[in-house]
Amino acid sequence: DTWHMPTPYGDANLTTKLAYEFADEIREKSGGKLDINVHSGASLIKHPEIPRAVRTGQVQLGEVFIGVMGNSHPVFKHDNIPFLATNFDDSKKLWEAAKPELEKLLNKEGMVLLYTVPWPTQSLYTKFPVNTLDDLKGTKMRAYSPSTSRLAELMHTSPTTVQAPEVPQAFSTGIIDAMITSPSTGANGQAWDYLTHYTDIKAWIPKNIVVANKRAFRRLDKATQQMILTAAANAESKGWEGVRATTRQDTETLAANGIVVSEPSAELIAELEKIGQIMIKEWEAEAPAEIGKILKQYQQQ
Amino acid sequence: MEPMTLSIVLAISILLMLAVGVWVSLALVGVAALGLMLSGNEQVGLLFGTSSWGASTAWSLTALPMFIWMGEVLFRTRLSSDLFAGLSPWLGGLPGKLLHVNVLSCGIFAAVSGSSAATAATIGRMTLPELKAQGYSDRMAVGTLAGSGTLGLLIPPSIILIVYGVAAEVSIGRLFIAGALPGLLLVTLFMGYTMVWALMNKDELPKHSKEQVSLKAKIAALRKLLPIMGLIGFVLGSIYGGFTTPTEAAALGVFGALVLAAMTGSLSMESFKGSLLGAVKSSCMIGLILVGAHFLTLAMGFLGIPRALTEWIGTLGLSPLELLIYLTVLFVVLGCFLDGISVVVLTVAVMLPMVQQAGIDLLWFGIYIVLVVEMSQITPPVGFNLFVIQALTGKNILYVARAALPFFLMILLAIVLIYWFPEIVTYLPTTMTQR
Amino acid sequence: MSALKENLYLTSGYLSGACIIAIMVLVLAQIVGRFFGFIIPSAEDFAGYSLAASIFFGLAYTFRDGGHIRVTLAIQHLPRPLRRVQELAVLLIGLVLSGFMAWYSWFMVWESFVFEEMTHGYIALPLWMPQVPLGLGTTAFTLAVLDALIDALRGKMPAYIGAEDEINLEEV
Ligand code: NA
Ligand code: NA
Repeated sequence: DTWHMPTPYGDANLTTKLAYEFADEIREKSGGKLDINVHSGASLIKHPEIPRAVRTGQVQLGEVFIGVMGNSHPVFKHDNIPFLATNFDDSKKLWEAAKPELEKLLNKEGMVLLYTVPWPTQSLYTKFPVNTLDDLKGTKMRAYSPSTSRLAELMHTSPTTVQAPEVPQAFSTGIIDAMITSPSTGANGQAWDYLTHYTDIKAWIPKNIVVANKRAFRRLDKATQQMILTAAANAESKGWEGVRATTRQDTETLAANGIVVSEPSAELIAELEKIGQIMIKEWEAEAPAEIGKILKQYQQQ
Repeated sequence: MEPMTLSIVLAISILLMLAVGVWVSLALVGVAALGLMLSGNEQVGLLFGTSSWGASTAWSLTALPMFIWMGEVLFRTRLSSDLFAGLSPWLGGLPGKLLHVNVLSCGIFAAVSGSSAATAATIGRMTLPELKAQGYSDRMAVGTLAGSGTLGLLIPPSIILIVYGVAAEVSIGRLFIAGALPGLLLVTLFMGYTMVWALMNKDELPKHSKEQVSLKAKIAALRKLLPIMGLIGFVLGSIYGGFTTPTEAAALGVFGALVLAAMTGSLSMESFKGSLLGAVKSSCMIGLILVGAHFLTLAMGFLGIPRALTEWIGTLGLSPLELLIYLTVLFVVLGCFLDGISVVVLTVAVMLPMVQQAGIDLLWFGIYIVLVVEMSQITPPVGFNLFVIQALTGKNILYVARAALPFFLMILLAIVLIYWFPEIVTYLPTTMTQR
Repeated sequence: MSALKENLYLTSGYLSGACIIAIMVLVLAQIVGRFFGFIIPSAEDFAGYSLAASIFFGLAYTFRDGGHIRVTLAIQHLPRPLRRVQELAVLLIGLVLSGFMAWYSWFMVWESFVFEEMTHGYIALPLWMPQVPLGLGTTAFTLAVLDALIDALRGKMPAYIGAEDEINLEEV
């Protein structure tokens, strides 16, 4: 059998590398009987369309940024809430807490969760040093989702929508002055060409998930199913490990290319955490039953 | 079915469908569906839905109907004839005279628009009727437009450079800067060819009076250019002044054109409706072809034909020069059947490691790719500039393609030149890092 | 009857034009908003939906007016009887393909509806809403092809042929 696996990001990204390794492992262990064809960089199916393509069986499995599904249920926003889980250990705990609810939702939609890959922590890029929120006041910050817009508002900046490919030009021409994204995105996009400061505020840790079509998965014999789940577990543990190294390397790359990399001041952290509290409350209010459960579970660990 | 047999069957079916007169967009949808069905895919219809929704809602495409409408508005004003009146005293001494208006205005407009179809449609709407009225060779008018429309891709902003930059993880800012000199090179080559052609075909040019135009008259003529230059300056200024993104600038362009038309008294309810319906006709035609092309791209992704071909090239163990020759041939062949962006999307994952291994600079390669994609815009049967110009003139695709052939060869020459002198690409980006 | 048909084709064109205007207004509002520091929520998303609507709404009008291009080089020199057969065959292929597009566009709308899918942007809409124009537009397109096929069967020249010959340059 040939299975098609669309993924949203390019080959240089950790998640795409892991997708290729996942496919290789299955090809090898099945003796070539199950051949997973990875189509990276949204070359087969555009990113927002991937969950639906998996759900309806147009492709057998696929990878998606969890936040893309945020409008279908607030549980899918758990990894986009700023200052809730800001290091990889916490992020893993949050994932353990959210996973059962998330699997329940995916199952209802005819999908099976295979594995997750975290992104590096999201931090602040600017064209000027930032010591307190006052330094950001009145500037224009990039927003690309409801939660980034809300965050920009709470930081007293004006949220400005700019699509990812136009970010470099938007910085150069002054459409935006600040953005929050991972060190990898900055390093891969050579952010030093258009900005100067990176403040490592560690706002949140988003993740990708790889999901399979439930019917396609169940049609496989038990042994093959188990083999896929094992390969998925391997990919997931490689992901949690690899992301730490990636975060470190890419932050070093930023510094090596002349971006001023700095730790946030205690004052800034305090201000941001206050914002985090507000956004966590707002998120909980969207679906108190499920999210309350996730938060409780997370805080108990 | 074997990939090899399958690709031959599909190539023959699309040529056949086009030859018997099936509409281009429907032929693309048909051959994509056929390919998926022959490969045993059971979700052909669902996949069509997914791909047509994704293709038709692409935010970067919103600029296309805007620029087409802008062309329709300007065409209905005096501004297009003013453009010629203003430029002709200046170009009078140059062999080929007003044919250069196509090259130059495409070159300038390319700095505003990111796509080649939009550039050809907007400029062609203004220049083709005027060139025809003044008695220029149809073939050369069409050829210069088809060729220089492709500048929209190379001179920043550029959709294809964004697609490549994201896939190859090369800084889009640098790619944009790297495109500037090769863009000028192409303008020079196109104008050079036009001059040579004009010297050899004097009888196909209109007879102008030989009188010398005084400098004073030349400067007076420039005043006629003010409104249109003002419009382009306004749009460019809004991009580089940080007020709009290049995609948004298109909306500002239409708005500006409407204001200009109103100010010069050529905007009536009639001409407004006419311009709008004209824009509908062109943008629906191009839009459905894009939907079809996207569906074919998706089918090709499932069938893996472009990937298999690229992988095959990878197994040959070629030197960098040989590799580039093979890739150029591959792109030209694929570019006959797929649109340029699809070719890049379908092959980039396999191609980039190969290119890196051969020691080719990825920044340079990005500009090389754009040049090859430019060539694919003017090769039949699937070439967007050909479609745009067929819609503008009613001339057959093959006629337009033949007219564009010399310009195809000029782009090829540009590729050879940037291979010999890679500094044409890399010089400006290197100065950028030493700021 | 034919006046009604003409009006329907024209409606297809104007609906598409209205969506093009909507794109312009949305984008301009966004530029103005940025200048004054407010945000037009989901402006890009709505511009994208308007783009899809403008492409699909106008298909029938464009078809009728000979706007969809094709290669006429080989067919224009065919002898008359053969040309008639060729045109009927092409219209039949066109009917099958446009019917395929219409059927599966509505299928997509229906699926989005029963799956209760939402759009992905800032403003979450049920996904079927912005997808309806695809269904309507492809259906109108199919009817336009059918209309031309019926004309051709009756021995009349389909309207698009008159419009697609070398007219535009000659007009000026
Ligand atoms: Na351009
Ligand atoms: Na081509």
